[in-house]
Amino acid sequence: MILSIKDLHKTFPKEDGEMVAIDEFNLDVEEGEFVCILGPSGCGKTTLLRMIAGLESPTSGELLLNGTQISKPGSDRGMVFQEFALFPWRSVRKNIEFGLEIKKIAPDERRVISQKFIDLVGLNGFENYHPNQLSGGMKQRVGIARALANNPMILLMDEPFGALDAQTRNLMQKELLRIWKETGKTVIFITHSVDEAVYLADRIIVLTTRPSRIKEVFEIRSERPRDRASVEFANLRKEILLKLEQEVVSTPKAVNGA
Amino acid sequence: MTKASDSINKLVKKSFGKKNIKTLAFIIISLVGFVLIWWIAATLYNIDYFPTPDKVYTAFINSFTHNDPTLGNTMWGNIFASLKRFATGFLLAFVAAVPVGLLMGSSKILDGLLKPIIELFRPIPPIAWVPIFLIALGFFWGPVFIIFIGVFFPLMSAVYFGVKSVDPVLLDAARTQGAGRFSIFSKVVLPSTVPHIMTGIRIGLGIGWMCIVAAEMIGAIGGGVGYYLTVQQLVGNYPALYAGIVVIALLGLATTSLSGYIEKWLAARMGFR
Repeated sequence: MILSIKDLHKTFPKEDGEMVAIDEFNLDVEEGEFVCILGPSGCGKTTLLRMIAGLESPTSGELLLNGTQISKPGSDRGMVFQEFALFPWRSVRKNIEFGLEIKKIAPDERRVISQKFIDLVGLNGFENYHPNQLSGGMKQRVGIARALANNPMILLMDEPFGALDAQTRNLMQKELLRIWKETGKTVIFITHSVDEAVYLADRIIVLTTRPSRIKEVFEIRSERPRDRASVEFANLRKEILLKLEQEVVSTPKAVNGA
Repeated sequence: MTKASDSINKLVKKSFGKKNIKTLAFIIISLVGFVLIWWIAATLYNIDYFPTPDKVYTAFINSFTHNDPTLGNTMWGNIFASLKRFATGFLLAFVAAVPVGLLMGSSKILDGLLKPIIELFRPIPPIAWVPIFLIALGFFWGPVFIIFIGVFFPLMSAVYFGVKSVDPVLLDAARTQGAGRFSIFSKVVLPSTVPHIMTGIRIGLGIGWMCIVAAEMIGAIGGGVGYYLTVQQLVGNYPALYAGIVVIALLGLATTSLSGYIEKWLAARMGFR
């Protein structure tokens, strides 16, 4: 087991008391697994991922990475952001080498490592480009390469394709599966797209609205690449959509309007 | 690369060129119109302290080619004297304002301690310091510190604002890459503030330039463009007085547009735009 979450609970202070973001959350993730966390917008899915990343600390409960308590951010967890979060003043190569510089790896070795991940994500020839010269899809390729260059135990992806157009998004999903297979990394992928989750995941964790608890877990065993037009795919999508709709409908108006 | 991209490039250049020609045409029409109105007004008024543009033009050329009878040097000497004070004051302000802005932006304690002092001094017009600075610091360092004050506050505020407006997502990204406080400062905060520093420089240059002229008018020994103005007023050489104002305008325009150009170049070069 690479990641183990036990009785996780997170509250944020509010003017009138506190807001419970995540409650009674338990999850075990196997090494090499591709887990999608799916939930209505405004639920605590990003908060959950930020806690795994160490960017937020839980109010109570345990977060164990390979048996060790997570207490702060670290390069053993690679994070990919929806907003790409690339350093604009750094070239593609320099962005990917950021974590290696922090680790004080020698320039020659840095170059070898960054080249490997530039090749992996298909950015050959763009090494010296700056992020503002790249399309959204290419930016996120840099984001993925930068996260992987540290050789993390786990890849955390926060709606990484949410800012991309539909075609690019589908292409990037395919690419991500290829990269996942080649690297064998464990992936935790946040999304609010049912289609995306069904296409990518070994396991889909459907969350409730705030406070987020696990509503249902779907295991998907079908072969990849999955055919979006297949009956199986459509049925699963329908089933999950139904679960999500229940969540949105059952939410009290006052909270939903926020 | 390909023919298609070539023709796109040509198209871009063409339309860009057209836009430039349009801008240039507006500038010419505007300036010619201004000089014409000035000429007509000066002719109608016909008074010695409001000379026509041709007289100012002659005085302007003369000021560069002939030694001024009162000052004993050409305009070049005055420009050099002013620029020397200006550059010294500006560099001192830069060296002080950037670290103070960075520290105040990064540390809540320093921010809390320094802010009251800064907010107390900021509203004082730099010129208000002229009398005391001339007595305390003399005719070179006095004007230099007037410029220092003029440049320090806008530059420091820009740097401070730059630190405060670093994209929080970039800070998160750096932290997940294992960066500690020092690495985050040197590798994320510092490069993020560069465009803000450049904006601060441009604003500081404009204000500094106003300060130097004003300071020199009140007192300067060893020449200076501001001093030149005072002298021409005393001897009643009004066309030369206007020529001095034209020199100030041109130099101010040159410094701010040069820094504006560097600002844009650097932002593009660093990948911000």
